[in-house]
Amino acid sequence: MKVLHSLNQFFAGIGGEEKAGQEVLFIPGAVGAGTIVQNALKDRGVEYATLVWGDNYFHEQEEKSFNAIRAALEKFQPDFFLAGPAFNAGRYGLACAKVCSWVRDNWRVPAITAMHEDNPGTKEIGRHVFVIQTGASAASMQESLKRFSLLIELLLGGNQTAIENFRSEHCLPISRRFTVRSQAPDYVRATDLLLAKLQGQSYESEIPRIEATAHPIPNLTGRLKDATVALVTEGGLVPKGNPDRLESSRGSRYFKYSIDGREDLKRGEFEAMHTGYDTSTVNQDPDRIVPLDAMRVLEKSQRFRKLHDHYFVTTGTGAMPSKMEEIGAGIADELASSGISAVILTAT
Amino acid sequence: MVVITCLSNVATQVGIGRIMGGNKFHYPVGQPELPPAEELRWRVNLLEKGLTALETPVKEPKVF
Repeated sequence: MKVLHSLNQFFAGIGGEEKAGQEVLFIPGAVGAGTIVQNALKDRGVEYATLVWGDNYFHEQEEKSFNAIRAALEKFQPDFFLAGPAFNAGRYGLACAKVCSWVRDNWRVPAITAMHEDNPGTKEIGRHVFVIQTGASAASMQESLKRFSLLIELLLGGNQTAIENFRSEHCLPISRRFTVRSQAPDYVRATDLLLAKLQGQSYESEIPRIEATAHPIPNLTGRLKDATVALVTEGGLVPKGNPDRLESSRGSRYFKYSIDGREDLKRGEFEAMHTGYDTSTVNQDPDRIVPLDAMRVLEKSQRFRKLHDHYFVTTGTGAMPSKMEEIGAGIADELASSGISAVILTAT
Repeated sequence: MVVITCLSNVATQVGIGRIMGGNKFHYPVGQPELPPAEELRWRVNLLEKGLTALETPVKEPKVF
């Protein structure tokens, strides 16, 4: 079994910042942090080699670096590729992420790196790369390296459940979508996944499952009679002609539009921009998505003090949850600073 | 906040506090089969329920 381990100049023990320009170097055997992993795997008869690069060199000479890494892979033919741990070191983390992603995609060997969740490298992680979670500093070095060897043992063992358990316990969830080319058309691929799931077999979706983060649920403070209430929708309702060019899917923005002085939303004055649903019924009467007419009736009956004079809108289809979270936080900030104490949100 | 949607299971999964079933996926607060005046009355009733939901303290997702 062969392991190729990439380290920056610092963790390879070559030098500090003065060696950040070090070009990619192939070293037979383990050095620096790698010796600990090698020791842990010695019963496996591991053959170890090391790649070292300077933190600046990798980013300044990315193409040359990749050429050198390719040459090392061709020469050494590793079964496992390791990089890091990078902790919260940005240049190192980015390099580990890029190299592991490239190795996994092009060499089809397991690629394992390790870093802290705030490391910018997490944004560059490709599909199927294991990213072991570490602390922010090298204080968690021993623990992180132990997990490298543990994961290699698990991968050699081939017990999918044990690997998945390791992943959920020790790896960072990388919640992004990746463009991949599958062997079969999408409908065949989808059916295969479904059958595997029904038969209790292991399978891996192209789309990582994104867990919603828990948020506290606010309760109304004070009486509804004294509250200003705002209308919000993800249904894409905008003034006719879509003056601000709200996207009809994969929304990245939100807008607010005045309803001051309006009693209801009239057909022909507003329209829905949304590829996620049939908008014809809403276009016939926009109050069916932003219920202004009903809210005016309830406002007049003094059920609440006032309806906010703008409604907020975005398009909630095909979008990244992280982007939607950003949009939600933006709307919430504006609402909170406008003295609004309650919201009715309509969603398709 | 109260969310009016037909996908109350999704809203529950993401942890929305107050959830109300809308009429249809593509018009949660519409009832196009009704004449306009009756549709408005229906919508006022629905929103009235929404306001009651807003007044109700909740600790975890609740479908009204």
